Amino acid sequence: MAELDQRPFPPGDYPVVVVGSGPGGLQTSYFLKRLGIEHAVISADPSPGGMFRHFPFFQRLLSWTKPYAPVPRDDRWYQWYDWNSLLADEPGARAIMPTLMDGTSSFPSRPEMEANLAAFVEQAGLAVRYDCRWEATRRDGERFVLSTPDGEYRCQAAIFAVGIAEPYLPDTPGFELVSHYVDTRAAATYAGKRLFIVGKENSGFELATGLLQWAQRIVLASPRPAKLSVNTHSLLGVRARYVLPFEDQNLGGGVFILNASIERIERAPGGFRVHCIRSENGAELSVEADEVIAATGFKCPLRDLPDLGVAVFGRSGLPAMTNYYESATVPGIYFAGTIGQGVAGMKKYGLPANSGAVHGARYNARTMVHHLARTHFGVELPRPEVKPDALVDLLLSEATRAPELWNQKSYLARAFSLDSGSGIRDEGVVPLAQFVDEEGPAAVAIAVETDDLGDIHPALYVREVGRPAVETLLASNPLHDFRSVENRAQLTSLLSGATAGAVR
Amino acid sequence: MAMTAQELVDMLSSLTLFADLTRPQLEQVAHKMTEESFPVGQRILRQGFTGTGFYVILDGEVAVKIDGEERARLAKGDFFGEMSILLGEPPVADIVTTRQLHVLHLGGPDLEGFLRDHPQVMYRMLKAVALRLRNASRWRS
Amino acid sequence: MAATDIVRPMALSTQDKAAALAGVPLFAGISAESMERLAAVAGEQEFAAGQFIVRQGQVGTGLYVVLSGSVKVLRGSDVIARLGKGEFFGELSVIDQQPRNASVEAAESTSVLALASWDLLALLESDPQLSLNMIKGLVMRVRQAGEKLGH
Repeated sequence: MAELDQRPFPPGDYPVVVVGSGPGGLQTSYFLKRLGIEHAVISADPSPGGMFRHFPFFQRLLSWTKPYAPVPRDDRWYQWYDWNSLLADEPGARAIMPTLMDGTSSFPSRPEMEANLAAFVEQAGLAVRYDCRWEATRRDGERFVLSTPDGEYRCQAAIFAVGIAEPYLPDTPGFELVSHYVDTRAAATYAGKRLFIVGKENSGFELATGLLQWAQRIVLASPRPAKLSVNTHSLLGVRARYVLPFEDQNLGGGVFILNASIERIERAPGGFRVHCIRSENGAELSVEADEVIAATGFKCPLRDLPDLGVAVFGRSGLPAMTNYYESATVPGIYFAGTIGQGVAGMKKYGLPANSGAVHGARYNARTMVHHLARTHFGVELPRPEVKPDALVDLLLSEATRAPELWNQKSYLARAFSLDSGSGIRDEGVVPLAQFVDEEGPAAVAIAVETDDLGDIHPALYVREVGRPAVETLLASNPLHDFRSVENRAQLTSLLSGATAGAVR
Repeated sequence: MAMTAQELVDMLSSLTLFADLTRPQLEQVAHKMTEESFPVGQRILRQGFTGTGFYVILDGEVAVKIDGEERARLAKGDFFGEMSILLGEPPVADIVTTRQLHVLHLGGPDLEGFLRDHPQVMYRMLKAVALRLRNASRWRS
Repeated sequence: MAATDIVRPMALSTQDKAAALAGVPLFAGISAESMERLAAVAGEQEFAAGQFIVRQGQVGTGLYVVLSGSVKVLRGSDVIARLGKGEFFGELSVIDQQPRNASVEAAESTSVLALASWDLLALLESDPQLSLNMIKGLVMRVRQAGEKLGH
């Protein structure tokens, strides 16, 4: 066929290849482009959006974009109120999400999110080679070779933003008989059915909520009691939107939320029989159902990367990574998007960062690209000088408003080096675990943290040369404005010793 | 290492801490705790930091360091973090990975409830802590 | 005078014992059933100043809680700790069935509550809160031992 292929990025040799056109791949491509790092983006999909091309099944996101915020939309601070737009410096490419919402909800619909991502590609001038599936990977000396039906892509560094997108089914007998969350049909087809949902994470409760008015009975089961986000003080647990099935259960309305492990599932007349063991007392329980849906999560479609030496862990098969999302075992292989949740960070009080969501992953992508730029391409990133008398206000301003710190609590921090030769330098946003563990010049970093009581407050980390970082928690504020006289005084005193060397 | 749910349960059953649990109980443990991975050189517990978690080592190795001086090594089946959680005080030691580490993690605020729900695990922990005290007393004498 | 691990019948009534035990941190928050059982099986012992309560090297048969007075924990002739009202000792030998790693001597006229190892083990098994309190107590001692070591 002599049809002219007008798609960008024909097979060939590129410094960097990005795989994936969901939010993670697009955000990564944007930052690479900003730094002038040549790269190809390939995607198996026909259009941008990644998982948002199909999910969530009931078409409403879990991440807010607040159209009316206390700060203007073109402000950096607005990112805290808009969890769904990707990051950009150009005014036209920023805060796109609120411009596309119909006012129904501060949680965008799936099609609105998909449009948001398509608009970002357009506005940020990104290019993707769609319908180009990464199929296999190998090494050729210093380079990686990615095979696609279109041909081979060679690169110095490969970034996989392929999501945690492959349906995961436990290896318990009988799961091969049932459908996965991704196979859920139109809600009306569950009318009058006895439904059994395996899994008590958000996907299970999303289905239970959406099918509440259709199913005659809904049983949700998994070994661990469900947590609620309103109790964990974070996005960990079942989100407030999906609490309705709990109320129904408590009133005895036909929803049953069980703590039980599934022993096996077998066919029974008209449907299935699910054999469970109750977690509380070890008692056996068998439940008949017309339909069984496994809301058991997803795993990483990493294909043959493990054969290349990429270490993976856990049921999701997440890669083992450094704090900059580089494979811990195969340097040069990087990850972006939801896969970034494999880098746990400090997880204070057990609260995870939001790396599995756009509002966390978009900042992770930036720290990853900056690291890649420095280490692989010798790019010198600007490190603006900060006047000594401005530092305290800057730290408290960041703690009060910086979207990176608020979206990635106890995970990303704003760092300033205090080197005696070059004065105080703004080192930008850094992974907190990296900052407190690495050897480096004297420096300070500010983060925002939540404790076990739900109190949100700033934390300062001071690192002196040759000594481990010291943590100091600062006072909270009922309205989350941390720029108090008390905090200013405490910071001034904490920094007086630390900055002395830098300012002489 | 990547493991299926069943393989993880098999592995947990081989660890002393979980040795007295039935299979459904092990499955519950596997669901309550999250698997995490840490590269070499990272601290998992940090002297003086708040908000510590509880960790059980599945694979890899860590060094216990106090003020930079190595005191012990921990490996598969060993656990750490419970001291500062139960005392409500920051750790007095650093835990630093010396080999790529694969752990099960439980958030600090969940530990007491977890132990209450699994008294068999608590009893194993009691024995382990008693042994630690005996060793600590031995050094002291 | 020789150390004694023999529990003498208590002069206190079960109710009095329960009241004395209620203030002991080791038993804080344990169930009413556990407290009742504890009061029923535990015995009170009196020691004069200088009397040994447990001896290093012996296999322990019980846990002791100081009800009044105070004790000295001795390793050889070194005093390694002093324990007062509400504090407990002797637990290690019960848990790991190894010989006592220290001696304990009454520092003044002291009254202790003695709990036989089989009773303690049964209680630990039936009441998670007691195990949790015990772990917390041990963990604190490990940390104190570490701190002493570091200094």
